[in-house]
Amino acid sequence: MPNRSQKSTRILTGDDSASMRALLNHALTAKGFDVKQADDGQAALEWLAVNEVDVVITDINMPRLDGFGLIERLRAGSRHRDRPILVLTTESSDEKKARARAAGATGWIVKPFDPEKLAAAVRRVAH
Amino acid sequence: MSPTAPSPHQRLTVMQGHAPVSSDPGVEFTTVLGSCVATCLYDPEIGLGGMNHFLLAEPAASIEAGQADVHYGVYLMEMLINAMIRRGASKARLRAHLYGGANLHLGMARIGTMNADFARAFLVRERIPLAREDLGGNSARRVDFRPATGQVRCRTVAPALVSETKPTPRPHRVVGDVELF
Repeated sequence: MPNRSQKSTRILTGDDSASMRALLNHALTAKGFDVKQADDGQAALEWLAVNEVDVVITDINMPRLDGFGLIERLRAGSRHRDRPILVLTTESSDEKKARARAAGATGWIVKPFDPEKLAAAVRRVAH
Repeated sequence: MSPTAPSPHQRLTVMQGHAPVSSDPGVEFTTVLGSCVATCLYDPEIGLGGMNHFLLAEPAASIEAGQADVHYGVYLMEMLINAMIRRGASKARLRAHLYGGANLHLGMARIGTMNADFARAFLVRERIPLAREDLGGNSARRVDFRPATGQVRCRTVAPALVSETKPTPRPHRVVGDVELF
């Protein structure tokens, strides 16, 4: 059960799949996190321009602005330069993982995700 | 064309867990389904199609009885959609067909129904129009899909032709592992 006396870790998820957003929302809110959701990288970028979070979780393959582009744009500005960004993706190639790392991602998680492992990763990188 | 005439197409069998995509007019994807479900996706603007074939288990610690392993199902559907998008498809243009989901053995768990329900609900949630479905019942089906044109033929076949008996195996890698950089 989430400890309501403590401030919840705030998470923004970016994923174009409504089904995946529903799974993430269910898994993360059940662990006591405060979850907001964007349906692609551009929506995530616009939301983050005026809102604060503790951790960003993003898919790679999204319309308008993909996960690589989102990470690059966030790292290019000062507001989210040090924000932990976890990539959650169906992609498993080393080339894509290296690209995410070079763009400034904090971690890499291959779907299908395990709710316990995802929550542990969020707690570990949140600061 | 007589029913026994050889197909001029190169026929590729789509096995459980696979999700091939093609725009080759000479290719035909084919599969035989019992309880399994096959999704055919087609982008009419670029003449690209893809097909998957899966059987989701009921998770041991299912929150609600009679529900499929949605986590894995969403992953398998996303793999097909991403393969289409990588080849130039637009998710907004995709049209879907669903086949299979039969309950071949009366009195046993209705795993086919569970899988068909998952697939329908997924498409609704993703706003991908379902152009045609042939789901449920207690007969095996053979599905032939020409990905370049979106043409599908679905026929009832003898249950003995169905080789599937087990849920689609998950990838060998450890699921959901986290790598911090």
